[in-house]
Amino acid sequence: MIHNQTPLYFAGVDIGSTMSKVAIIDDEQNLRTAVIGPTGAEHRRRANQVMIEALGQAGIPLETVGYIVATGYGRMNVPFAEQQVTEITCHARGVMTLFPEAQSIIDIGGQDSKALRVGNHKVLDFTTNDKCAAGTGRFLEVIAETLDLPLSDMSQISLKSSRPVQITSICTIFAQQEVIRYLSEGTDLSDVLAGMHDATASRVVRMARRIGVLPPLVFTGGVALNPAMVKAMEDNLGFPVLVPSNPLITGALGAAVIARDKYHQLAARGRTPAVNARRLEEVDLFGGGAGK
Amino acid sequence: MSDKPQGLAAARLIYQDRTKRVRELKAEGRKIMGYVCLYPPVEMMTALGYVPFRIFGRYGEPVSAADTVFTPVVCHFLRSMVDQGMKGNYSFLDGIIGSHTCDIGSVAVHIWKDYIPEPNFVYFIDVPHTDHLPAQEYFKGQILDLKRKMEEFAEQEITDSMLAEAIALHNRQRQLVRELYELRKADPSPLSGTENLEVMVALCSLPVEEGNELLQQVIEEVKERSQEQLDERARVLVWGTVLDNSALLQVIEESGASVVIDDTCVGTRAYWDDVPVGGDPWDALARRNLVDLKCPRTYRQATFGQLKRDYDTDLDSQFGYLKNMAKDWHAEGVILQSLKYCDSHGYDVPGIRHYLDTLGIPSIYIEHDYTEGSLAPIRTRIEAFVETIKV
Repeated sequence: MIHNQTPLYFAGVDIGSTMSKVAIIDDEQNLRTAVIGPTGAEHRRRANQVMIEALGQAGIPLETVGYIVATGYGRMNVPFAEQQVTEITCHARGVMTLFPEAQSIIDIGGQDSKALRVGNHKVLDFTTNDKCAAGTGRFLEVIAETLDLPLSDMSQISLKSSRPVQITSICTIFAQQEVIRYLSEGTDLSDVLAGMHDATASRVVRMARRIGVLPPLVFTGGVALNPAMVKAMEDNLGFPVLVPSNPLITGALGAAVIARDKYHQLAARGRTPAVNARRLEEVDLFGGGAGK
Repeated sequence: MSDKPQGLAAARLIYQDRTKRVRELKAEGRKIMGYVCLYPPVEMMTALGYVPFRIFGRYGEPVSAADTVFTPVVCHFLRSMVDQGMKGNYSFLDGIIGSHTCDIGSVAVHIWKDYIPEPNFVYFIDVPHTDHLPAQEYFKGQILDLKRKMEEFAEQEITDSMLAEAIALHNRQRQLVRELYELRKADPSPLSGTENLEVMVALCSLPVEEGNELLQQVIEEVKERSQEQLDERARVLVWGTVLDNSALLQVIEESGASVVIDDTCVGTRAYWDDVPVGGDPWDALARRNLVDLKCPRTYRQATFGQLKRDYDTDLDSQFGYLKNMAKDWHAEGVILQSLKYCDSHGYDVPGIRHYLDTLGIPSIYIEHDYTEGSLAPIRTRIEAFVETIKV
């Protein structure tokens, strides 16, 4: 059992389809450390590695972590977590911790996008796109690959545009063809790239409008690091957006905040999880031992 | 007492092999009348001694043959249904009655006639899309035309007493189903949505008397189930397109929700309203099937014929019955589900969500496509929805 004098931490583990994130907060909800790493093919093993890395970076032993919540696509593969909570709830919580005034959230990740309406510390409504690459980070990657340009370059060039083209195709593959056609006709690269960012933003905003969009709106996810996308989102929304300094970590942060809540709820009832029994080991799905 | 399975166990066996019983009956000389959707009156079939057998697709089996006769813009359920017909899996039927449920529903019947050699009797009954008096009159005319054709085919007349008896039997079934659903008002519900579905599917695979017997066994069995300890799951109402397979409900019930009632056609829509007795039975059948039966393919806005715009009254006229359903079964949220390409249900979603919003009932809309693959992302959404309800 943890005594009141021992420092107490809480962790959120967000195993996404492309990136795994861990956030560790203290009992005052200050972020102690955040770690991000690619999930990769062996994402079930990554949970342990990212956690070990986060603990090392924070300089704290596992036993001082009072409660761990796992979230994200791979949340079922975090055996050392006390609870799983969906990324929708965790993102909302993380954003509301950073921006208590937020009323809407749009998250664009590598493989999906979601829009949430929040208020009173709750998720009021949400909608997700996890069927289609258009309107996710994947779309931008496909175009970057096609043009053999790094994503950061695409963003910089796009910001120089004065007349973005209209990309009308709904589908990433057809949009790719449109991009190539524009370039072969001699259209300025910056205009084509601006059009592409605009097309992505417009799809996501359209999805978000199905549940209603109310500022202040917080824009999160890896794609929020792209300044051209931030601009495109603002153009499509018609108002400025708030972007956290670390837009990838809101899910893990929210999970950590929820972990803290759960711990204190249990403690108030005189119960806390037996953290000494918790071990960081790889998920063994095939009965053949933990391997490396 | 034989060791033949009873109650829920029997229902499950029938659910897993729907055609087994009707094939046995056919071998004994009974005739089987297939029907699509709820508009063909089952009472007429029973009156003539046919076993009414509702026709579905086959969940989980890839469609092959039907792709040659349908464009992509066809819901997977009807596509699968015609596919099964083309593969000969419905050749035991003596007849099929289809109806103008929706555009594809109509086309599917005609495609059946053109591309599938059996059965001999394939009849299409037109159903108007509105519920006002002229529409009821028209639908009654359609039912009477069906009567003449069925009598010709069966070489037998449907007398008033035969029909009255059939109506009584089917009304009895509806009463029993409502009794079963009543038990699910308890918290926690002693019967899961998945189990309930299996019973409903069994009912439309059996003669009405056997279905009534099965229901009585199930009701007794469920009544005897001991009160379980607290169920943390959120109580939900599931609305939407035909669910003839429990896969989606299973995912929902594994994701933190407990399905306590539904507004679907394999569920409550078929059983919530009796055929009125005492007056003209043909008027009664027309009224009950067109007006009382709540399928979104029937346009029910209150201000029909008026120029005044009144969205809220329209919504209440269309969806008001859901208010009591949700309230009486203590549903904490509503899961709206529809098959991709189901226009009838899909078009209603914004209105219904708005209506539920005004009632303060949380809802979520899930689109799926009659395949296992489409179910995985649904888990997260249902879990997230439950998290928003159970704060």
